[in-house]
Amino acid sequence: MKQHQFKILTQSRPEVMERVLRVVRHRGFALQGCQMESKSDSKQLQITLTVASERPAHLLFSQLDKLVDVTHVEARELAQAAAPQSLQIRA
Amino acid sequence: MNGAQYIVNALHQQGVSQVFGYPGGAIMPVYDALYDGGIPHQLCRHEQGAAMAAIGYARASGQVGVCIATSGPGATNLITGLADALLDSVPVVAITGQVGRDFIGTDAFQEIDVLGLSLACTKHSFLVQDPAELGQVLAEAFRIAQEGRPGPVLVDVPKDIQMMAAEPTAPVHLVSQCPEPEAADLASARALLAQAGKPVLYVGGGVVLADAVDELRAFASQTGLPSVTTLKGIGTLDPHCPQFLGMLGMHGSKAANLAVQECDLLLVVGARFDDRVTGKLDTFAPHAKVIHLDIDAAELGKRRTPEVALAGDLKTLLPALAQPLTIADWQAHCAAMARDFAWDYAHPGDAIYAPALLRHLSDALPEQAVVTCDVGQHQMWVAQHMRFAHPSQHISSSGLGTMGFGLPAAVGAKLARPEDEVVLVSGDGSFMMNVQELGTLKRAQLPVKMVLLDNQRLGMVRQWQELFFDGRFSETLLTDNPDFVALAAAFGIAGETIHRKEEVAPAIARMLACPGAYLLHVAICPEENVWPLVPPGAANQQMLEAKA
Repeated sequence: MKQHQFKILTQSRPEVMERVLRVVRHRGFALQGCQMESKSDSKQLQITLTVASERPAHLLFSQLDKLVDVTHVEARELAQAAAPQSLQIRA
Repeated sequence: MNGAQYIVNALHQQGVSQVFGYPGGAIMPVYDALYDGGIPHQLCRHEQGAAMAAIGYARASGQVGVCIATSGPGATNLITGLADALLDSVPVVAITGQVGRDFIGTDAFQEIDVLGLSLACTKHSFLVQDPAELGQVLAEAFRIAQEGRPGPVLVDVPKDIQMMAAEPTAPVHLVSQCPEPEAADLASARALLAQAGKPVLYVGGGVVLADAVDELRAFASQTGLPSVTTLKGIGTLDPHCPQFLGMLGMHGSKAANLAVQECDLLLVVGARFDDRVTGKLDTFAPHAKVIHLDIDAAELGKRRTPEVALAGDLKTLLPALAQPLTIADWQAHCAAMARDFAWDYAHPGDAIYAPALLRHLSDALPEQAVVTCDVGQHQMWVAQHMRFAHPSQHISSSGLGTMGFGLPAAVGAKLARPEDEVVLVSGDGSFMMNVQELGTLKRAQLPVKMVLLDNQRLGMVRQWQELFFDGRFSETLLTDNPDFVALAAAFGIAGETIHRKEEVAPAIARMLACPGAYLLHVAICPEENVWPLVPPGAANQQMLEAKA
C-alpha cells in the first residue's frame, strides 16, 4: 500500500473539510494524517493530507481537483519510491 | 422585494420557464412569491417526483431542470432524484427551504442538515448564510450545473433569509471555462486512428451533454467507424446506419460486444467504462489501444488507462480527429455480424412478446417522440428494440438505475416538449414506486401514454434469481398487484389490458389516438428473460443467450 501526501488549497467554506474528506474515503483512500490552516487572508484554507491506498494517487488527485471549492492540488508519493513523484495542477 | 421574491426573479433571469416542487413550512415564502406568477410551477405529489420531473424536463429540453422543496423530509425526499442526476450528469438546480438561521443546529421542527446530506449526491451545494449572497450563489448554481460535465446543484435557503429584504440586482451570468487538449496529444490520437485496422467508436452520454450529436454523426460518417453506444448514448448515432452495431455491455447486442472484443483501437467518446459496459474489466477490449475523449478529466484513466487521453469539448475534439480511414474489410466484417446476429422477433404461442411489442411501438411512434423508462427488464428491452433519432428522446435512469423514475420523468418531458408524443414504458414493480404522479398527470392534464409491461414479478431480480440464485425467488412475486386500469381510472385516465399478440397493434393504435393520457396494461409471460446477458464476472464475449 502506497502513501501519498496531498496539499490542497481551497476556498474557506464551513463544509469544505467534509467535502474533501468524503471524497478521500469514498474513493478508497485511508486517511493517515491531516492538517488544516487558514491562510492569512482568511478566504482560503491550506489542507495537507497523508493517505494510503492500493489505488493509484491520480484517481484521488483528479477527484479532488474537480471539487468546486478546490483551487490547487499537489500530490507526492511518500513511501516505497526511489524518488518522489509529484502531480500538480492549478484550477 | 424579499429574499423569496429575489429567488423567483433570479430564476426568471436565468431563463427558467418551468419549475417542479412541493410546498411546506420552510419554503412558504418562495411559494408566496410564486403565487404572484412569473414562472409556471408544477405541483408533483412527492418531492422525489418533483426531482425526477426536473430531470425529465432537463433531458428532454437540454435546459436546466429546477425543483423546489421544503426543509427536512421535503429535502430528504429529493435525495434520490439528485443522486440520479449526479450519476447521469443532468443539470438540475434544487432549491430547498431551511429553518431560520437561529434554529439551525437546534434539532428544530423539520430541520435536517441538508448541506451535509447533499455532499455525496450533488456536484456542489450551498447553504445561503447572508441575503447579500443570494444573487451570486444562484448564478454560481446555474453555472456549475451546466459547466463541463453537468450535474445537480442544491441551494439551501434559511426561511429568515427568504423573508428578509433583498436588493434587486442586475442578472448575473457567469462564463464557463473548458479544458483544451495538447496539440501533441491530438496528433497522437490522429495517428493511432489512421494506423488502426479494426477500430471501434464507443459512444456515451457525454455527446448529448456536449451538444455534439451533429459533430459525432459527421465524424462517424467521415471515418466510417463501426460504432456502439452505451445506454445513455442511445440515439446519438443514426440507428439505420449500416456501421451502427447497437448497445454494448451486459445486455448489449452480440455484434456490438463481439466487435469491441475484437477491435484493435477503441475510440471512447463521452463514456466512462461503466461496469455494466465492460463486464470483467481486464477482459474488456483486450486487444485494443484506447483513445479517450471526455470533458471530465477524472474519467480519463479511472477504469482503463488510455494510450491517448483528450480532455475537452467534444464539439471541437471530434472534428479535429475526423479523417477518412481504410478499413473496408473490418467494416464488412462488422456489418456481417450485425446482419447475422440481428434481433429475432419470432416467438411461439399467443402470449405477448415484449421485445416485439416495443419494436412495433417504436415503428408506430412519430419520429420526434420521447420515451421515458423505468428500471428493469422493460428498460433493457426498450434500449435493445426501440429506435431513437436523438438521445434526448430516450430518457432512462442509467447510472443510478432508479426504479420509479419513468412516470415523473415523463411529466417533465411532456412539459418540456408539449408538441411531441411522450410515452412511458414501465414495469409493474417500477410503476408502483412513484404511482402518485398519476395525480400530477391529472392535475396538469398531460396526455402522456403509458405502456405497462406486467409480468407480476420484479422481473430483472427474478431473472437473476433464476440464473444465479438457484431459482430461489425471494420477494419477487407481485401477483397481488392492483388492478392497474382501475387505478388509472381513479385518476380519470383511460386504459385497457391486453393479453394476446393479436391485440397489440390495435391497442397501440387506440392509445396513440386517445387525446388524453392513456394506460396500456400489457400482461406478459413471467418467465420471459432479457437476452443476451453477460453474467457477472464474465467477459463480454461470454454472453448467455436465449435457448433455441
